[in-house]
Amino acid sequence: MKYAGLVLANLGRNKLRTALTGGAIMLAVLLVCVLLTMPAGLDAFLNNIASNTRISVHNKAGLVYAMPYAFTRKVRQIDGVAAACAFVWFGGAFEEAGRVTFPNFAVEADQVGAVYPDYDVPAQQLADFQRYRDGAIVGRATMRRYGWKIGDRITLRSTVWPVNLDFRIVGEIPNDRSPLLWMNRDYLDEALKAQGRPAGLGIAGIVWVRAADPERVNAIMRTVDDLSRNSDSETASETEKSFFSNFFGSLKGFIAIILLVTGLVALCIVFIAANTASMGVRERAGELAILKAIGFGRRLLFATLLAEATVLSSVAGLAGVVSTIGITKVLHVFAGWNASLGPLGAFIVTSSVIVEGIFLSLFVGMLAGVVPAFGAARKPVVATLHEVF
Amino acid sequence: MDATPGAPLIQIRDVSRRYVRGVDEVHALERVSLDIPAGHFVGFMGPSGSGKSTLLNLVSGIDRPSEGDVIVAGQRLNDLSEDELARWRARHVGLIFQFFNLIPVLSARDNVALPLLLTKLDKAERVRRAETALRVVGLEDRLDHYPRTLSGGEQQRVAIARAIVTDPDLIVADEPTGDLDARNAEAILDLLRQLRQHFGKTVVMVTHDPRALRFVDDAYHLDKGVLLEGEEAARAQEAIRVSAGAAGARGPR
Repeated sequence: MKYAGLVLANLGRNKLRTALTGGAIMLAVLLVCVLLTMPAGLDAFLNNIASNTRISVHNKAGLVYAMPYAFTRKVRQIDGVAAACAFVWFGGAFEEAGRVTFPNFAVEADQVGAVYPDYDVPAQQLADFQRYRDGAIVGRATMRRYGWKIGDRITLRSTVWPVNLDFRIVGEIPNDRSPLLWMNRDYLDEALKAQGRPAGLGIAGIVWVRAADPERVNAIMRTVDDLSRNSDSETASETEKSFFSNFFGSLKGFIAIILLVTGLVALCIVFIAANTASMGVRERAGELAILKAIGFGRRLLFATLLAEATVLSSVAGLAGVVSTIGITKVLHVFAGWNASLGPLGAFIVTSSVIVEGIFLSLFVGMLAGVVPAFGAARKPVVATLHEVF
Repeated sequence: MDATPGAPLIQIRDVSRRYVRGVDEVHALERVSLDIPAGHFVGFMGPSGSGKSTLLNLVSGIDRPSEGDVIVAGQRLNDLSEDELARWRARHVGLIFQFFNLIPVLSARDNVALPLLLTKLDKAERVRRAETALRVVGLEDRLDHYPRTLSGGEQQRVAIARAIVTDPDLIVADEPTGDLDARNAEAILDLLRQLRQHFGKTVVMVTHDPRALRFVDDAYHLDKGVLLEGEEAARAQEAIRVSAGAAGARGPR
């Protein structure tokens, strides 16, 4: 500790350079930590939205392939299934631009409430949803986005089916981040028949199943897939968490790329910090020679020079970690009223991210300091004196 | 370090020092032998490249001879490793350089206290001793001043305080007046003489400054790595006295 004054005084020698180097390290640590929160945040997000009793059943060939609607009834009869509801992607566009800005599905109005009891849609609204063929239940995020309220009438133009449908909003999914819109399957079925498709809808895109008991989820998934084996539409069942995890699989790949780039950025910062440390050592060659001459040993000199780089990067890294916590908290707050931030609001700085950030800054400091410190310390004192005087 | 006044503190025996510079071998010192008694103020003089700084480096344990022995207070310095020499210097030698070489980001007090960091003294004692050393060199009113706010003479006094703060028996000064005006140069030479007179220090100095002859007990002359003796040394000394007289006639710079 008695050398702390010397180390700190040397760090204050060129305040601008110290601040710029520290700032670069802080930003690098901030960047890495924010990105490190993503995998944990994604996991938390999936845990948040996924129930441990819900199962997704879809065509084994992929989500774009449908299953016969009749299969839903078979699933419903499986022992341990509390409820099952067929979902069909409607792909309705609300705005003039014609693009789909929120997910909307045709669902079985009498089943969806039983499959999603955790969505807490009021019973009266679910009853209205069954009563009105043109009824729609909309997530609060979309309601707020377009300024809709219960009782409003809206029109969606399907980008999948050859129909434009008018809806009356009869209920709301009371979740600030829910962008969903559910419409009555029978309404779409009738509209398609009216368009000259006598078979009507006739298919299910995904069948969402709620198990009566989490312990029976695996058995139900096996039974469902056995039921469809060797048919034209073999199914693949998975838990809701697994379904969303696969759904966001591309995001994970994206995160991996970003982490790779961030690692390279961190490496660049190491080189920048090492260059700064080298410049600092070169500028002080005379002073270092004097310190050696008055008795500072090689190890001591190496330690004090290394300490300078490590203290700077540790303080900067700590600032980066604190900033990460601040930024994720701000994102969390913003995501409460801005649904477009999506899962960003769920990102959390875990203790492991904090530890990784601090270790990263220590690593940057030590790696940046070790070469110039070793170079300055290893030369014999007389050689150093000859070089500078 | 045991130093009996009058007994040789430094024994230099047939010392040669050669460097390799590029493809050339430079003979900086050739078979120099010399005893320097404890409590003496000794000056090494000679033209540039004569080997006087090399000899000073050997005496102070900064460098080791290619041949011969350097023994200071019974310790043969040739036998010590680089790290052992560093520890030895920290305990036994106070060093003063031409360009002061203070740490610009430390106050005068902290600069002087630097060598004490290598001891086991606590902070309060380090500060007390640093202030005492600054009082000895007449800078008790500059304790918190940074080097940039001190004159050249004051900076050299701080460097001298740094050299004496560990209470070494041997003080080694390399051109201590080389960067000072005449008045400050004399003051520094007088200060070094007082360290010998009042504190019994052995002072070994390298200088070009002819004024130094008035302050030292013994002056040694080197030329091309060889220690001059007899008539050669007398002639060199006379030449310096003449140049000192001429400098005195011109008055202080």
